[in-house]
Formats: sequence, C-alpha cells, structure tokens
Amino acid sequence: MGKKNKARAGLAIRYLLILIFAVPMVLPLMWMFTTALKDNGAVFKVPPQWIPDTFMWENFTTGLLQIDFWSRFRNTLFLAVIISIGQVLSCMSVGYALSRIKFKGKKLWFYLIIGSVMIPGMVTMIPIFRMWTAFGFYGTWWPMILPAFLGAPFQTFLARQFMSTLPKSYDDAARIDGANRLQVLVHIIAPMCKPLITVIAIQAFQGAWNDYLTPLLYVIARPEKWTLSLAVGRMSSSTYGTQWNLFMAADIIYLLPILIIFFLCQNYFMEGLGSMNNSGVK
Amino acid sequence: MAELKEKKQRSGKLFWKREGFQGYLFMGPTLIGFPLLCAYPMIYSLYCAFCDWDGYNDPVFAGLKNFKYILMTDPVFPKSVKITLIYALINVPVTLILGMALAVLLNRNLKGIRIFRVIYYLPTIVPGIASIILWQFIFKSDVGMLNGFLTQLGLSPVGWLTDEKIVLFSLSLMKWWGVGGMMIVFLSGLQSVPADIYEAAELDGAGGWAKFRSITFPMVTPIVFLQLITGLIGCLQSFAEAQIMTAGDPNNASRFINYDIYETAFNSGRYGRASAEAWILFLIIMVLTVIVFRSSEQYVYYENE
Repeated sequence: MGKKNKARAGLAIRYLLILIFAVPMVLPLMWMFTTALKDNGAVFKVPPQWIPDTFMWENFTTGLLQIDFWSRFRNTLFLAVIISIGQVLSCMSVGYALSRIKFKGKKLWFYLIIGSVMIPGMVTMIPIFRMWTAFGFYGTWWPMILPAFLGAPFQTFLARQFMSTLPKSYDDAARIDGANRLQVLVHIIAPMCKPLITVIAIQAFQGAWNDYLTPLLYVIARPEKWTLSLAVGRMSSSTYGTQWNLFMAADIIYLLPILIIFFLCQNYFMEGLGSMNNSGVK
Repeated sequence: MAELKEKKQRSGKLFWKREGFQGYLFMGPTLIGFPLLCAYPMIYSLYCAFCDWDGYNDPVFAGLKNFKYILMTDPVFPKSVKITLIYALINVPVTLILGMALAVLLNRNLKGIRIFRVIYYLPTIVPGIASIILWQFIFKSDVGMLNGFLTQLGLSPVGWLTDEKIVLFSLSLMKWWGVGGMMIVFLSGLQSVPADIYEAAELDGAGGWAKFRSITFPMVTPIVFLQLITGLIGCLQSFAEAQIMTAGDPNNASRFINYDIYETAFNSGRYGRASAEAWILFLIIMVLTVIVFRSSEQYVYYENE
C-alpha cells in the first residue's frame, strides 16, 4: 500500500514539474499572439496587458502588407521547395555511392565530408561570396539554390549512415536481375529510405525558410527577390518604426507555414529524427 | 572463385559500367561541391588571411599583419573571442542538462504526454528570425513582457539588452527556450533503451537515481557526445542574435566572433582581416572539438563494441 502511494505521489510530482516547465515554453508564444492583436496604444501600456481591450484582427492584414507577404511567400516557397529537392537528390546519390559502391578514395571522401561539417560558414563565406559575384550571381538566387544540388555535408553523412543499415541482399538480387545502379537506387533503396528522405527534405525546407544570412548577403539590394526571413528580419529598420503589434502579426504569418507543416508531419519532426538516431548516428 | 569471377567481370566491362567509375558518377554532387564550396574557399581564405584586401583590388600579401593587428592592437576582436567562449561555455552544458532532464521527465507513457512533448518542442519550430524579433520585444525595457512581470512583482526593471553584464544571459535565455530540439533527440535515445534492462535493475533493488546513473546515462552518451559537438560548433557561430537584436552592443558585450567577422568584411571592407578572424574562429572550433573527442573516450559507451 505504501509503495502504491509513493508511486502516486511520484506521478503527481512528475505532472507538476511537466506543467511548470511548460509555462515558459508557452508564455512567449502567447505574448506574441496577444501583442499581435493589440492596437497601437495598448502595445505601450505599462504594465503590459495580457488580454487587450479591443482585438485588432486587421493587424494581420496590415502585417501582410508590411512585409509584402504574398510575393515574398512565393519567393520563399519556391526556394524552399527547390532546395529540398536538390538536397534530397544530391544526398541520396552521394549517400548511395558511399554506402554501396566500391571505388578508389571512398574513405578519403567520406572523411572530407565529415570534416567539412566542422568548418564554420564564416571561413568560406567571403571567398564564396567573391566567387558567386564573379560568376555574376550577385542579386540572384543561384547562391542559395546551387549548393543544395552539390550535397550538404551533414545530410550526406546522415544518408550514408542510414543506407549502411539497410540489408544489401535486396539490391544484390536486383543487380543479378539486370537492374543498373540508378534503377536500384530509385526502385529498391529510395522506397526503404522514406524516413531519411522526409527528414532531409524537412530539414532542408526549414533551413531554407529560416535562412537569413545568405539572402542578406546576396539579394539585400533587390527587394523583389527578398525572402520572408529577410523581410521579417529587416522590419525593425523599415519605415514603420516600432509598431510591435504589426511586427508580431507579421512574425506569426511568417512562422505559420512551418507550423502547419509541423502539425502535418509531426512524427517526422519528432520521431523521424529520433529514428535516425537509432540507426547508427553516433 | 568469386574473386576470379569478379576480376573477369571487371576486365570485360566497358569503363562506364565499371563499379569504380559509377561510384564517381554517384559522387558527382560532392566531387563538384567539395572543391567549389569547401576546398577552394578554404585555401583562398587562408591566403587572404595573410593579405591586405579591400574586396575590389587583388589581395596584396602582407605577412602576419592581420593576425598581429587583431590579436594585439584591435580593441574589439579579443573581446569578441572572450564573450563568444563564455556564451558557448554557459550554453552547451545548460542546454545539454536541461534537454536531458526534460527528456527524462517526459519519458513516460502518461495521459496527455504527447501534448506536452509538442508544447516543449514548439519553440524549436519557430524560425530563428521570428524568435529573435519576438524576444527583442520580450526584452524591451519599457513595454516588454519580462519587465512587465518584474514591475508587477514590485521589482525594478532590468536592461535585458542594454546592460553590459546581462545581455549574454538574456541571449542565453532565448537559447534555452529552444531546448525542445535537444529534448526530442534525448527522448528518442531514451526510448530505444530496452525496458528489460530497467526491470532487471529494479529486481536488484536499484532506485531512480541509480537507474539513471548506471543505465540511462551510459545508453545516451553517444547522443551526449554528438550534441556536445554540434552544440559547441553552433554556439561558437552565433550571428543573427547579434546582428538583429543588439548590433553587438552594449559596449560590444554581445559582439560574437561571427558578427565581428561580418562587420569587418562587409561593412568595413577589410576582407583580409576578416579572413584572419575567421581562421582564428576555425582554430578555436578545432581545438575544442579535439578536446571533446579526446575526453569522449572516457565516457561514451558504444553498445556494439
């Protein structure tokens, strides 16, 4: 009996702790939401109000206008989709070579890829900036798109690790039946790699959606090519001054698509990455 | 026999059907990407670190001038290194411990636990820029959320982003908000620990802490190791917080190395000096990574070994 009570008390404490820690996780988001609904005066009330007197739903339409949402949404979506496709294709291809094909220098390439994960972006950024500029790509999206098709190191590493855990007997059988390696990759390996592909695609999409530095470097002078991240990041220096209610509304609009994707692919966000961890990422 | 057959096959095949050549075909993205986006920029940036370079004319070799300047004369860069290291040394352990603690807390099949996992993970979904703009407002000294709380409690407001001594802590708070990503990784690690190990330990009379110390923690050490390295590399490269929230202020107390490099290169046009700074950052990252690797042998437990 005493043991049962003890277990019950433990459970209650656990729930209590879970609740307590949930508060700071949620508060900032609620703060963002209520601020987005305030009118200009209510934003500057001291002490701050949690529930505004009047709900200004039109802030969201004004927010849309302020960051020129629709054209930037189109830009960002286009980039994020292309970049996801590029990363999936390139990482699957290189991961397949590294895990399945024998060729000279394979080990060396594998270590080069791992090593390049460690290199800080800032070291290579300046030469890469000069290089893309010399190619005439300043003010275009190519500096964002091309690297995706040239194999992101970390995702390539993930792909190689994941594919190494798949049984080789399937592709050997297909090879004996006369399939070439591309067919093996597309028809045999890829269907077994759905979690891997989803994780790479989601990470690439999220990365492109969130990327601030690359658009800042390359398209800052071309407002028609801005991404949402750039538009949101530059809000505070825009002509609107410090209209925090509108900033928050724009912020919500910016994160909404990612939030929707999250709720659609929750398992891949939360368990997909986890299943990757169990598959030999050490 | 098999070897002989393979040899025969290899010599009889057209070269584009040979395994070695096809390997390189599938390696294509990396074969182009690595030289273009890694090797060449690294070498060029190393060369530029020893040059005077305004970004327009060709770099002119200047020996150790850049390194001498940033390490001895520059009033800003050494401080950047210092505050970036402090920031990383605070945040890497705190996020690791917090992430693991939350994972242990949520690693039970309780009613409604999924909802809490989502709630804890939600801040990680918020794009970096969006959360920076949000926290910029939370930290506002007059109308921000935090000072609102403080004044309601009768305490004096804090200059979250304007007080030199507090700004790093404030930026850390924002980082801890996103600890859910770390939590999920640990959670998946915990769930892969077979339940029978715990049952066996319970039969031997092990309590909660003993179970954590001798089963749970050893089983997740590979994750600790991976997160230690990625966390360290990530923290040392903080940028957008400084660029958007503080512009490195007050008194350069949040001028992370990466932000300093960015400013030196793209605002002051001293690309050579910026390259030298970038290489020092790279050296710092390498040294710390090697230390983590070396020390990991003592605690990381691999099941297969």
